[in-house]
Amino acid sequence: MAYISIWTLTRDVISTVFWGIVKLIFWPPIYQFVIIPGLVAALVVVISIIWFERKAAARVQMRYGPLEVSPKLAGYLQLFADLIRYSFQEIIIPRTADIIPFITSPFFALLLSLLPLAVIPVSPVKWTWPLTLSAMRYSVLIAAALTTLSPIFIVAMGWASNNRFSTIGSMRESFLITAYELSAIIGIFSVVATVHSFDFTNIVNFQGGGKWLGLINPIALLAAFIATLISTSAFPFEISDAENEIVAGPFTEYSGLMYGVNMGTAYIKRWAMSVLIVLAFLGGWRPYIPPPNAGYIAGYLVPSLIVSAKAVVVMALMSFLRAVYGRYRIDQALHISWKYVFALAIAGFGLGILEGYLL
Amino acid sequence: MIIDMQSSEVPRLNMSSWEIGESRYLPGMEIKKLGKEKFVVYIGPQHPGSGHMRIIIKVDGDVIVEADPDLGYVHRTMEKLSEGRAYIKIIPLVERMAILDACNATLPYVEAVEKLLGLEAPERAKYLRVALCEINRIASHLYGFGIFGVFLGHSTMYMWGFGDREILVELAEKLTGARLTHTYPIFGGVRRDAPQNFTDNLRKAIRYLRKRLEDYRRMFLDNPVIRKRLEGVGIVSKRAATDLGLVGPNLRASGVEYDVRAVEPYEAYDEFDFEIPVFEEGDSLARAWVRVEEIKQSLRILEQVADKLDKTKGQQIMHDRFWAKVPPLYKKVFEAEGRVKLMPLFAILRVPKGRAFARTEAGRGEITYYIESDGKDKPYRVRIVSPSYRNAIMFKYAIPGHRVADLPAIYGSFDYFPPEADR
Amino acid sequence: MMPAKFVHKKTPKIGVLSSIGKNASALVLGLKYFFEPNRFTLMYPREYIVLDKRYRGFIVLIKNKCIGCESCARVCPTGAMKMVKFEVPNPKNPEKKKIVKYPTINHQRCVYCGFCVDICPTEALYHVPVHDVVYFNLADMIQYVESFQKEPVSPTAAEGAVPVKYIFDPERGLVKVRIKEGEKQ
Repeated sequence: MAYISIWTLTRDVISTVFWGIVKLIFWPPIYQFVIIPGLVAALVVVISIIWFERKAAARVQMRYGPLEVSPKLAGYLQLFADLIRYSFQEIIIPRTADIIPFITSPFFALLLSLLPLAVIPVSPVKWTWPLTLSAMRYSVLIAAALTTLSPIFIVAMGWASNNRFSTIGSMRESFLITAYELSAIIGIFSVVATVHSFDFTNIVNFQGGGKWLGLINPIALLAAFIATLISTSAFPFEISDAENEIVAGPFTEYSGLMYGVNMGTAYIKRWAMSVLIVLAFLGGWRPYIPPPNAGYIAGYLVPSLIVSAKAVVVMALMSFLRAVYGRYRIDQALHISWKYVFALAIAGFGLGILEGYLL
Repeated sequence: MIIDMQSSEVPRLNMSSWEIGESRYLPGMEIKKLGKEKFVVYIGPQHPGSGHMRIIIKVDGDVIVEADPDLGYVHRTMEKLSEGRAYIKIIPLVERMAILDACNATLPYVEAVEKLLGLEAPERAKYLRVALCEINRIASHLYGFGIFGVFLGHSTMYMWGFGDREILVELAEKLTGARLTHTYPIFGGVRRDAPQNFTDNLRKAIRYLRKRLEDYRRMFLDNPVIRKRLEGVGIVSKRAATDLGLVGPNLRASGVEYDVRAVEPYEAYDEFDFEIPVFEEGDSLARAWVRVEEIKQSLRILEQVADKLDKTKGQQIMHDRFWAKVPPLYKKVFEAEGRVKLMPLFAILRVPKGRAFARTEAGRGEITYYIESDGKDKPYRVRIVSPSYRNAIMFKYAIPGHRVADLPAIYGSFDYFPPEADR
Repeated sequence: MMPAKFVHKKTPKIGVLSSIGKNASALVLGLKYFFEPNRFTLMYPREYIVLDKRYRGFIVLIKNKCIGCESCARVCPTGAMKMVKFEVPNPKNPEKKKIVKYPTINHQRCVYCGFCVDICPTEALYHVPVHDVVYFNLADMIQYVESFQKEPVSPTAAEGAVPVKYIFDPERGLVKVRIKEGEKQ
């Protein structure tokens, strides 16, 4: 008797703990910020995308790229080796640096560039939404606002480093912030004008049946795409940390893990922006429609994976540009972003309003 | 001294102001007060944006107001070392100032000594020299393109330039036996005859490189991003280029017709039908284009060289005076391996008293040698003026007024090579 | 006699509209090479190039041919080659020793210009087409007569790396070809 009760007790405890962990994992704030599409997914994607970027560029450039660390996996483990090396490297803090912003800025920048992922829906099932229903109605607005937070810490890094290359780099970064933010937000908001809703779920549901907003309104997609390139210092807009001009821009004085975090931040921001672009323009989790009252797997994991897969394709496209382009000068980037990208974004917005009226 | 490059008016250096009493400082060592908004950035000598040199720039925000090139980090005293060496030992020494351009750098030295000795290389040796010179020129330009590309953040051009250079290096290895430091021309001829299939390989490489030049144009020169970075950047007017004494492709990009191969043809250059491209604009883009066009013309020369080499097969590659004196073993080795054996005399060669001057058009411009012999087995004086040394002054005048980001674009476009300038 | 002509040219101009086409052209070219890469990298420690006979590699002495004339030591531009005296018994006069000289090479200084090989009046020196010999200490790099006579072996070849050679190709530039066993270069 006692034996059985202990058995059932253990079983109950184990199942409670198991389901507790499952519930905790799939609790929307944790799941979205930490698992998919948050920190864990971002880390895996960033490592894979950096590997892809290096391999793709190498193929174009008559090379093989990373290979020796794991020849059978085409050098995929090289990035993990780099990560381990970065984490055990000595962190040198210059005596002349402003120490508190110097140390804290990289981590704030990393966390803030992940924040937009915590407020977007990755599934139409109601219980998976990370915000309350009333807040969810403005998820586009909130996500767009959160994407604008991290650059200030990159500027702070350059200032705190007290290095001339860093100063020039952070000055360039602060110029670029003005250049891309408006275009990116207007580009994404043209979707809002078409769908008449600030709610990402409405926007994705609108795109059912292959009616992707990126196909309906390619101008706004292009504007948002280029603005993302500028904001995440991807080629041809790798300006604020141009290696051949100003060493590493704002990150010149950073070493070890902090340098690794800084390098990762740009990619993580690119990941967050790609997820936003996928939701706004490329049909989100569509064509998959989860059944109503779906569980953890069908209702949360599968749609989030579909969104992630699409975002990876967008990121791969951005990464491939490294093999084709050099970098613009800062004034040319500003010129392009204000004269062409901003005009594109406005045109896309106008087209979005027109389509919202017609469709 | 800041010069407005647009006005094409370069003030002459005023020597009188350096006289004692008027200025307390030696030229180049003046101390100036910086404005409040300006600060000094040291670009180099260990910076990815410059080679083994330093450019001290003063910036006002993002705009460079003054640039001061600081050379000499890889100075190796080649001229002085030459004074203590036998004539033949100087060849491997001086070719180390531009290993990508080894034949072009050593050829004028060999020619100058030949003038003193009263020798002239036979016809086939001249063709072989031209072949290696043009192979070196293309390799040097591709190297320059690679560095130029990476300065602009265009990593593909970097890798392509270096990757395709491998073909030329391989050709040179097949011809001379060494990849870079060929030590190929020697007093009175060249050291090795071309191998059997050399001209076939040369023609294959020419066809490949012609195809690749089209790729370069699509990927790099016509790439709108690169064009934006280069167009109108670092303009050197015709007047400034001649006044400051630029040489080579940088001079021809400013619209000046000057090329040693045309004004004073050496070796067999007067037998070949080729053009020398001259561009009018004088900006970084023109300097890039002039090199591409030059590679095209070099391929054209190489094609004709291949025909000539086929025609002169089996002819001598050393001067007759050499063959008149050698023992039979030397002829046997030459017939079997195509290798010229040197006489023990070469190690203690005494060059008649006199002065000789020779120049060639190296990849980066005119390179001149002045040799003074006092009749001993070592030269009394060897003076080398290398093209990069003459081009370096332009950094002082071409960079100010541009942004910090333009510095690599201008530096790369001049194809400056510190070991060659510092010697 | 056809002296070279100067030809004045202008850099091609591109308008705003055609720059879109140029962007596309560059992207298409990038994609072309992404799908059909043209690579001829030598996977070095697993492969090695079988060099030409003409390659100026390591230098080896044939002692029997050497007459000790010192030409090689005299022409060496870096002073890598020096003559070393040896006392050998004189066959004609057993009481007196005969002094002979043989060259010694210091691979720390040698630049492989090949002057010594070319100047040797009896062909006592020759190049081996090997360029990747490794020494474990600096003293080994100075080769006296005994070690100077041994042909160095490429360590990659000794460890069973794949022999390859490069042939020229008008489409791909260089093509790496594997050399089968028994095939002559």
